[in-house]
Amino acid sequence: MEHPVLIYIPAVDELEIRVQEVTRYLGYGGNPAEGEDLKLIEKKIAEVKKIMAPKACYARYSFENDEENSMLTFPYGETKSEVLSRHLSGCSEVFIFAATIGAVFDRSLQRTRFLSMSETAVMQAVGAAAVEAVCDSVNGMLEQKAAEESKYLRARFSPGYGDFELENQRGIFSVLNPAKNVGITLMDTMIMAPEKSVTAVIGISDKPGRNGYET
Amino acid sequence: MSTTEKRNVMEKIREGFTYFEGGCGTILQAVGLKPGELPETWNLTHGDVIEKMHSDYIKAGANILKTNTFGGNILKFPADDPEMPLDVIIASAVSHARNAIENMEKDPSVGKDHFVALDIGPLGHLLKPLGDMEFERAYEIFKATVDSGMKAGVDLILVETMTDIYESKAAVLAAKESGLPVVLTTAYDESHKLLTGADPCTVVAVAEGLGVDCIGVNCSLGPDQMMEIVDGLVKYASVPVVVNPNAGLPRTENGRIIFDVKPEDFAEAMVKIASKGARVLGGCCGTTPSHIAAMIDSVKEMTPLPLTEKNDTFITSYTRSVRFGGKPILIGERINPTGKKRFKQALREHDIDHILQVGMDEQDNHADVLDVNVGLPEIDEVAMMCEVVSELQAITDLPLQIDTTDPIAMEKALRLYNGKPMINSVNGKEEVMEQVFPLAAKYGGLVVALTIDEEGIPKTAEGRLDIAKKIYARAAEYGIKKKDIIIDPLAMSISAEPDSALVTLEALKRIHDELGGLTSLGVSNISFGLPCREIVNSIFFTQAMNNGLSAAIMNPASTEMMKAYYAFCALNMQDENCMSFIGFAEEYKAAEDEKAARLAVGGGAATGEKKSPVKKSSLYESIEDERKLPLVDCIVKGMKDRAGVLTEELLNEGMDSLEIIDGALIPALDIVGRGFEKKTMFLPQLLMSAESASAAFAVIRGTLKKSGDEGKIKGRIILATVKGDIHDIGKNIVKVLLENYGYEVIDLGKDVAPELIVETAIAEDIKLVGLSALMTTTVPSMEETIKQLQKEKTGTLVMVGGAVMTQEYADMIGADHYSKDAMGSVRYAEKVFEVS
Repeated sequence: MEHPVLIYIPAVDELEIRVQEVTRYLGYGGNPAEGEDLKLIEKKIAEVKKIMAPKACYARYSFENDEENSMLTFPYGETKSEVLSRHLSGCSEVFIFAATIGAVFDRSLQRTRFLSMSETAVMQAVGAAAVEAVCDSVNGMLEQKAAEESKYLRARFSPGYGDFELENQRGIFSVLNPAKNVGITLMDTMIMAPEKSVTAVIGISDKPGRNGYET
Repeated sequence: MSTTEKRNVMEKIREGFTYFEGGCGTILQAVGLKPGELPETWNLTHGDVIEKMHSDYIKAGANILKTNTFGGNILKFPADDPEMPLDVIIASAVSHARNAIENMEKDPSVGKDHFVALDIGPLGHLLKPLGDMEFERAYEIFKATVDSGMKAGVDLILVETMTDIYESKAAVLAAKESGLPVVLTTAYDESHKLLTGADPCTVVAVAEGLGVDCIGVNCSLGPDQMMEIVDGLVKYASVPVVVNPNAGLPRTENGRIIFDVKPEDFAEAMVKIASKGARVLGGCCGTTPSHIAAMIDSVKEMTPLPLTEKNDTFITSYTRSVRFGGKPILIGERINPTGKKRFKQALREHDIDHILQVGMDEQDNHADVLDVNVGLPEIDEVAMMCEVVSELQAITDLPLQIDTTDPIAMEKALRLYNGKPMINSVNGKEEVMEQVFPLAAKYGGLVVALTIDEEGIPKTAEGRLDIAKKIYARAAEYGIKKKDIIIDPLAMSISAEPDSALVTLEALKRIHDELGGLTSLGVSNISFGLPCREIVNSIFFTQAMNNGLSAAIMNPASTEMMKAYYAFCALNMQDENCMSFIGFAEEYKAAEDEKAARLAVGGGAATGEKKSPVKKSSLYESIEDERKLPLVDCIVKGMKDRAGVLTEELLNEGMDSLEIIDGALIPALDIVGRGFEKKTMFLPQLLMSAESASAAFAVIRGTLKKSGDEGKIKGRIILATVKGDIHDIGKNIVKVLLENYGYEVIDLGKDVAPELIVETAIAEDIKLVGLSALMTTTVPSMEETIKQLQKEKTGTLVMVGGAVMTQEYADMIGADHYSKDAMGSVRYAEKVFEVS
């Protein structure tokens, strides 16, 4: 079985950056944005849509899940995580993906600081919502693929969630090569650049399962 | 080793079509390379597979073999690795290629034209400021690979699949030092740009500036999606163009990787590419010896288009190019301390933000290029130049003009610059040309050449032309083309030399007409010593443009100059449908209207109608004075333009500045601050209010300055994002708020070493330090900072915050306070400095 890394480029027009998601990152705690806030958020969503260059790469791998010891064996090596082991219970394969909105956003954000901090803070949140939108699009595409084989996906799970250690980023980067494929790089601090990038593991199962998880 | 009877690879390329090998990684995967396994290790473990692959490509007709060293660098194969040091990996890769050539050339029918290219791919790191790798570090890593390749003996160097122009520059600089031919191919995405934004024109300008021998495109796309990129490359490149596409995009079929472009379709597309003018052809991922064989079979009977010298002049940033020779180019002159008290102060106090703000303002005023001059006798110009150039490039995509007389500052800045800059300047003095031309030849750039030499500035246009000719000739000796020289025939004050404008205009015209050269002028010198200089400057600017001026160093904030510029371009057919002029006219009218509105406020008239009554909301019950309500309301709602106007109004009505601060600004900020804490107001509103209050403060500060009382500072606080963390938005939010509440913030920036924080705390005798960290991985560096502070400056209080921070973490690392949000820092500061 070969494991090619495939590239997926969602159309910006089809991505929905939701105001609600932006306000969540801004700490609104479920309250709606109104007046000047809302105007600013909408303005920044339009701006980010213009400069974002969404890209993702993904591959499908078989993996082992020793649930008794919470040990997972991915193509890049072994890792221990109780939460993820439980979350991937019943799966024998995973999709691993890396997604980004591109590097242009980063510079634009730096430039915005000279304009205004309120715009910067909102733009930051819009960027976070934008990469989530890219992930949702990746998810939707993979779900369709799974459905063609009558399989089901578990919710995506990123390094750093619960006890799934950030160190797994190294392994994910070694198999997906996101630097070459979509321009995402990993810094020594395990932070990714461009800033608005996400990596995640999605379990593939024969049975529908709980979509959520608790960290 | 290359044999003596063999031709140089560049001779072969100049003669006709030359062929690269196709894909390697996909071939290795098909015979068992595992995900995550490094392909370069196969040089040692599966040498036979590698050699056979090269032999198959030679059989298919390829001339240039790519060593299996794409990821061969000291990051993956340290020089001192006991099993697989870099030297060994590269030597074995080169020997497989050499062996294949030797064996295959035994058959006389395959010919002798085979060359080994040391293959160098990207490092997988983004360079600063986007990522964490220093430019010089990237250079050193590439240099190690190049050195290993030289030891093993290769014929040329192929830097390939680059997705960032800055990393390409580091690799090409290292590769050029080998003295071997250097080929650069970059990978464009579906928008026909590199991942960090450069288009083909920009890539060509930068790469040719660095002296590459061939430029091209590889990977990412199939040949059909590359057509427009190839068009761009052949349009701008004077060097041969290389095209190595993928066999389309990969997909899976029954668990196998399939590339969707078959050999015959690949060949057909490559014929089109060859007919566009590319002359070095090959393949990348998914292509096989069959693809290469089919391609060669289809192309070999064609005659390649001749190589032609392209005469367009470009400078670039990391993402875009500015062309000289068409519409006049505006070079902003404001990043320069000459005659600017505030700018000098910024340089002395290392206030980089002020310098950047000046650049941002120039960009907003439509400068095309920014001149950067940060020379001041009492500062370290080399360090300052490097810092300003990198920081500017982090926020602006305008190309820069490096302006310094310090040769070390010049070299460092040219090296560090991301793109192809302007170089300001050289002149007719032998000594200066000897200093500047080697740098321009090595790093690339458009050189500003002043018509002055050992004898001074010639009084006649003829004399200035002679110097221009001398400069062109000397530049050519260094391999610098005429198109990369821009002559400045010097504008001198007409108050000192009455015929000076006429001489300069004549020189401009003749350099343009007789020498076919580009010209630039520091326009405003012309009026030195006169009153109302803008009037003279703008007319002279128009005259100069009319005499063929290609670029002006000027102040883009000068309305008179911009009026002249936009009107000239429209009249001179350099502004399609007058769109730029119309855009300018709209901005101009808006600015005039605003001025009129402010005057009206100043006169205390005609504002009654604008004052809509403010609803007496319960929020505002603490405000007793009704006159202050509109301003309070405006700050709470975050309308910053209006906040300034209303403040001016109150001042004009005779209200005392302190009364406005204590009775309107502070209460308004408090309303929002409390709202934020009660979760009825949120971060954007908090910040917009802070900005509105700032706008109001700015108006008041103007009057305080006049009265000599600049207001009291409640306390001084250091803010920094800790070492390893390059995200600083949280810290900047805290800064805005603290400043608004009357604290002085010493902002040390991001990725700050603990030592610098301690040093500053001691030197400035700081009581409170705020640290921010985004990732759990940088929390240890926060802990280290706290430890050092406690040791070196006992009693310093530390507040911490950031995305991953919790009270628990804060306690664990010994912080004095955990701020869960920006207001938390303000409240803690109030406690520390005992502000009620």
